Parts: sequence; C-alpha cells; structure tokens
Amino acid sequence: MKIVLARIDDRLIHGQVATIWSKVTGCERIIVCDDEVANDSIRSTLLKQVAPPGIKSSVVDIEKAVRVYNNPKYEDAKCLLLFTNPTSVLRLVEAGVDIKTVNIGGMSFKEGKHQITGAVSVDDKDIESFKQLNSKGIELEIRKVDTDKKVMLMDVLK
Amino acid sequence: MLAVLVGTHGYFATELIKSCEMICGATKNVKAITLVPGESPDDVVKKYEEAIGELDTEDGVIFLNDLFGGSPYNAACRLAIGHEDYGIVTGVNLPMLIEMVGLQMSGDVAAIKEVMEKARDAGNMGTQTFHTSDIKEDEEDDL
Repeated sequence: MKIVLARIDDRLIHGQVATIWSKVTGCERIIVCDDEVANDSIRSTLLKQVAPPGIKSSVVDIEKAVRVYNNPKYEDAKCLLLFTNPTSVLRLVEAGVDIKTVNIGGMSFKEGKHQITGAVSVDDKDIESFKQLNSKGIELEIRKVDTDKKVMLMDVLK
Repeated sequence: MLAVLVGTHGYFATELIKSCEMICGATKNVKAITLVPGESPDDVVKKYEEAIGELDTEDGVIFLNDLFGGSPYNAACRLAIGHEDYGIVTGVNLPMLIEMVGLQMSGDVAAIKEVMEKARDAGNMGTQTFHTSDIKEDEEDDL
C-alpha cells in the first residue's frame, strides 16, 4: 500500500477531504481506519456512498487496516488513510505500518477536551498518543487544506 | 491569475463564497456581485466593471451566474461581448465554485473555454441523488 496521506479528521469524509485532499494526493482509495466507525453500520454504509467520483472508499477496524496494509493485492494502491484520533494511528504504527507524517485536519471539541487550535481539541489520551508518535520521529502537522501553512502540533501542545 | 466573478440575485454570491472558504480556505481573486432589489442591470454592469478593475485578470475572467437569462447573467453578457478571454457559466453551485478556486490555487493556466468546461462539469457532477435502495455492497473488493 502506498500511503499518500494519513489524516486525523473526525468529520472523516467531508468537503475538504472529498474535494481538496483527494485531488492533491491523487489517491485511488480512501480508507477510514476506526474501530468504532467500522462497528457502526449506518455510518460505515454512508461513508461508502460519499466517495468522490473515481475513488473507492472503505471503512475498516484497526486490525483489518493492518491486514489490508500487508495484503499484496493492495501493494500498489494509492491510499488516503483517515482516522478520528491519534491513538488509532499509533496502533497502526506499532503494528508496523510505515507512516512518516500525520496531517491533523480536525478534532472536534467535546466535554473533557481542550482546544489547542481553532480546529483541534485534545484530551489526555490524545496527548499521550501524539507524544509517542512524535518520539518515533513522525511529523505531526496541522493543516485544514494543503495550501495552509503547516503548524507543528508539538509546538502548540506545549 | 484567473479572475472569478460570482454574480447572483441577492446575497447568494456573497454567502456562496463564504461557504467555499469553509472548504478551501481564504480565496484570492474572487468577488461577489449582487443584484439587490431596486438596482438595475446597469448597476450590475458597473459593479462588474469595478470588480474587474480590482482583480488580476491576466488569465481571463470567468463569470459564474445563478440563472441563465437573469439580470446578473445579462449584464455579464454585455461585458463578455468583444472580450475573447471572458467566459460565462450559469447554474453556479458550490462544487462549481470550488473547482474554479481549486484551479486558481493549482497555478495551472487554461484557455477560458477550457475553464468554462471545467466549471460546467463540476457543477453537473455536483448534482447527485441518494435513496436507501441505492445501497449495495461491492463484493469484488475484500476491503
């Protein structure tokens, strides 16, 4: 699998992803990697309906995402991976998936989270996962769309 | 750079650009032209001319209008006559505007007729339907 973008965005497939990122990355597939969404049949069914023209979308849990990554059938597939949180990214990385940079597009504010930028809110678990990803040398950059200037997540976490 | 003018009845154009910016970020070289009650087509022509004066029109001007045959469209036609690098597309919607902003951001330069085709295709493709009976599983794919 050729990972053209790994993005954390809890809106998953929406305007910015469907129109901007799918184009600039030239991806063939959008794969939502999330245990909770994969177990929610309505959400996963709807996500499969909203793939931009010419792009396939799938929803898998983290375990299956690792299997798909290692499946020779998808060796040359250009994939855009979407996550709702950094802990899922960390689980993939720990299972041997080669991710060098993570784009953070949006993490919505909920009770118990605190806002670090306009579009990104985190809780303690998110912070811990981001720190571990950072310690593995993985770039963590905040950008809504590709023309935005990269803001390094670790800089705003301090 | 291509200049994009969104010309509509009422504040649709202004709000459409705001909606577009939610997705694409801040726009450059895009202007809203509104026709509000009490204004005449001549006022719209004047607004277009002022906007064109303020924009970079190096790569042409595309007018995106809401209604074929409406006053914003008719006014755009008056300006487009005699200008080879001006083009008009009607039925403006968000996908069409996003396509034009995307084109500006990409830095690619296209002939105005090609730009018009891209706008029309994006506008058409943006109209899709969904009904619960449309749901089907792709059995060929293990993913």
